[in-house]
Amino acid sequence: MPIDFIAIMPEIVLTVTALLVLAADLALRGDAKQLVNPLATFGTLIAIGFTVFLWGDERTTFGTMFVVDAYAVVFKLVFLVALLAILGISWRFFAEGRYFQGEYYFLLLTSFIGMVLMPSARDLLLLFVALETVSIPAFVMAGLRKRDLYSSEAALKFFIIGVLSVALMLFGMSMVYGFTGTTDLVGIAEAIRAGDADVPLLLGSVMLVIVGFGFKVSAVPFHFWAPDTYAGSPMPVAAMLAVASKAAGFAGLIAIAFVAFEPLAEVWAPVLGVIAILTMTLGNLIALQQRDLIRLLAYSSVAQAGYMLVPFGLARSGSDAIAVNDAAVQAVLFYLAAYAVMNIGAFGVAIAVNRRTGLRSIADYAGLSARSPLLALALTVFLLSLGGAPPTVGLWAKFAILEAITVDVTAFGVVLGSFVVINSVIAFFYYLKVVKTLWMDEAREGLPTLQPGFNLSAVVVVLMVGTVVLGVLPGLITDFTSITSVLATG
Amino acid sequence: MSPLGPLLLATLLFCVGIYGVIARRNAVLVLMSVELMLNAVNINLVAFSNLLFPEDAAVSGQIFALFIIGVAAAEVGVGLAIVFNMFRNRASVNVDDVDLMRW
Amino acid sequence: MTGHDVVFVLVGLLTAAAAILTVTSKNLVHAALFLATTLAGIAGVFLVLAADFLALVQLVVYVGAVAVLFLFGLMLTRAPIGREALDNQNRGLAIGVSGGLFVVLSALIVDAVVGGSLGDTTVAEVTGPGIEDIGMAIFAEWVLPFEVLSMLLLAALIGAIVLARREPGDSGEEAMATRIDFGDAPPTEGTDSLSSGSLPELTSGERREGGP
Repeated sequence: MPIDFIAIMPEIVLTVTALLVLAADLALRGDAKQLVNPLATFGTLIAIGFTVFLWGDERTTFGTMFVVDAYAVVFKLVFLVALLAILGISWRFFAEGRYFQGEYYFLLLTSFIGMVLMPSARDLLLLFVALETVSIPAFVMAGLRKRDLYSSEAALKFFIIGVLSVALMLFGMSMVYGFTGTTDLVGIAEAIRAGDADVPLLLGSVMLVIVGFGFKVSAVPFHFWAPDTYAGSPMPVAAMLAVASKAAGFAGLIAIAFVAFEPLAEVWAPVLGVIAILTMTLGNLIALQQRDLIRLLAYSSVAQAGYMLVPFGLARSGSDAIAVNDAAVQAVLFYLAAYAVMNIGAFGVAIAVNRRTGLRSIADYAGLSARSPLLALALTVFLLSLGGAPPTVGLWAKFAILEAITVDVTAFGVVLGSFVVINSVIAFFYYLKVVKTLWMDEAREGLPTLQPGFNLSAVVVVLMVGTVVLGVLPGLITDFTSITSVLATG
Repeated sequence: MSPLGPLLLATLLFCVGIYGVIARRNAVLVLMSVELMLNAVNINLVAFSNLLFPEDAAVSGQIFALFIIGVAAAEVGVGLAIVFNMFRNRASVNVDDVDLMRW
Repeated sequence: MTGHDVVFVLVGLLTAAAAILTVTSKNLVHAALFLATTLAGIAGVFLVLAADFLALVQLVVYVGAVAVLFLFGLMLTRAPIGREALDNQNRGLAIGVSGGLFVVLSALIVDAVVGGSLGDTTVAEVTGPGIEDIGMAIFAEWVLPFEVLSMLLLAALIGAIVLARREPGDSGEEAMATRIDFGDAPPTEGTDSLSSGSLPELTSGERREGGP
C-alpha cells in the first residue's frame, strides 16, 4: 500500500520540528535556550508552506483513513496560524519565567501535530489517537508552573475531566464498532443507513460519544473545568487551550457528527441544539459577573462554543440535506477562524499586561489607554469583535451562523437564531464594561510600565489588523470556507 | 459463545469505574477508576472483534484495543506526574481539596 | 452451555468482584492489588475470547507496569487509610449515577443482543486473528496512528519528567506568581514564592467571586 507522503507533509514537518526543538534544547545553554522559539516558528512556517501547497488538491491515503481536501486544508491553516501566534506570545513569557522552555515548545508542537491530524482523520481510531495527542501534552502544559498551586490545580482538573471524557467517548465508539463492524467513518455511515437505525443502544452510544466531545469543547453542562483550567494555566497555554484545543474538539465533532452519524442527524441535532442554547446563555450570564479578565474570557469562550454549536442543531439527514449540512459546517469553520483571531489577540493583550505585574483583575486594566494606547486599542477591538460589533470579523461570524439558519428555515432554527441574537446583546454588556474600564477609568498609582516586547506586540498588531480587515472584507475567509465540504468526499 | 456475557461484564466494569470517579477523593484512586472504564472498552472491542467480525482483515477491534492500552499507559504516566506535583505543593492528593477556584 | 462459557463465567465473576473491591476498599494498597487482580482477570477474559496477543499485552503493560506504577504512586503520596480519607460525601450520588447507568445500559444491551440487531449473536467456536495478522494490520493499515502514538508516548514521557523532576530555579518558581484574587490569601504550604508578595497592593478589601 503506497503512502502519499505529500499529503502528510505538514504533519511530518511539525514532527521533525518538534524533535529538532528537543535536540536543540539539549545543546543550548542558559539564555540561548530561548532560540528554540524561532526554530519552532521556522518549522511552523514550512508546515504552512506545505499546507498551502496542498490547497485545491484532493488526496486520500492510508486506505481511506486520511483525507486532504479543501475543508481539511482550511482547518489546518487555522491551526498552524494559531500556532504561529501562540509561539509569538510565548517567547518572552517563557524565556523570562525560567520554565522548561525546550520541553514546553516540544509539547506545544506535539499537541499541534494531533490538531492538524484531526480535520483529515476519517477513522475512529485515528481520531482517538489524534485527540489524545492534542490532550496529553496539554495536561502537562497546564501544569508547567510547577510551584504554583493554581497551576497544579488547573492541570489536575483538566486531566481528570480529559481522561473521563475520553473514556465515555470510547465506550460509545466501541458500541458503534459493534453495530457497524468498522471504524471507518464513511463505512459507519453506510452501515447505519443499511441497518435499522433506531436501535436504542446505538442511539445511546452516539450520545456517549457526543457527551465526550461536549467536554472537549466545554459545552454546558460539561464546561465547569474550563474557567479554572484557563485561569490556572500559564497564560499562553490558556490561549492555546481556549482556541486551538477547542477547535480540535470541533474538528472531531464535525467529522463524527456530519460524516459518521449523518444518518442519525434527526436524533443528535436537537440534542446539540439544546446544548448550544444552554451553553451560550449560561456562559454569557456567568461571564457577566466575572471580575478577573481571564475568567471573563474563559466564560466568554464557553459562550462562543455555544454559538459554534448552533449550526450542529440545524443538521439534517438524507440526500436532500447536503445543502443544509454544508452551510452548517461552513458556518462553524468561519466562526472558528474568526474566533481564533480575536481570542488569541485578547489573551495576548492580557499576557502583555499581566506578565510583569501579575495583575489580572479587570479593575487593574483601568486607564490602560493612558499607559499603553496600543494595547488598549487592541483589546477594545478584540472584545468588540468577540461581541460581534461592526466593523469587525466577529459580526460576520455571527452572520455566517444566521445565514446557515436561513438556508432552510425551521421553527427550531428560528429559536436557535433568536437565542444567538439575544445572547449577543447580553454579551455586549460585559465586553463594553471592560472597554469602559480601559478608556474611562483612572489608572492606579505606582503600576510598572508595560514592555510587551517585539514579538508579542507584532502578534497583537497583526491580529488586530486582521480582525478589522476581515471585518471590512469578510470575503477573504468566506471565499475559502464556502468551497469546503466534508460531505463531498465523505 | 454469545457476546452478551462479555458486554455485560464490560458494562459492569464501566459503571464501577464511574462510581469510583464520583465517590473517591484520592486522585490516585480516581485515576484507577478511569483505568477500569478504559478496560471495559477493551473488553467490548475484543468481544465484538472476535465474536461478531472474525473475518475483518483489518482486525479493527483488536488494534483499537491495543491503541487504547498504549494511550492509557501514557495517561497514567502523565496523570501520576501531575498528582505528584500536586502532592509536593500541598501535601494532599484529595480531589475535593482542589478548590482554590470553584468548580 | 459449553465449557467455554463456564470458564468465561468464572473469570468474569472474579474480575467483576475484584473491580468492585477496587473502588470500595478502605485500604489504598489493597485497592491497588485488587486493581491488579481485575486487570489480570481481564487478561483471562481476553484469553477466553481467543485474543492471545492482547492478553499478553494486557499482562505486560497493565499488570506489569501500570499496576506497579499505581503502587508507587500510592506509597509516594503517603495517602491515609480509611473510608473517611478515601471517599467523599458523594457516595449516594455515585451509587445512583453508576447504578442507573448500569441498569439502562445493560437493558439496552440485552435488548440489542436478544433482539438480534447486533448481527448473528452466537458463534459455536471462538476464533481470533493470530499475532501475524495483527502485526500485518498494524504496519499496513494502521501505520499512521501507530507512528502518531509513538510521538504521543514520547510527549507523555517528557511531560511526566518535566512535571516530576525537582530542579530549583528552573521550574518557574522565580516567575511572577499567578495572581488570582478571590478575597482570601492562597494556602502557603510549599509555595513561598506565591505569598511573598513582590506584587503591588491590590484593592484588598474588595471581594472577588470565583465562579458560578
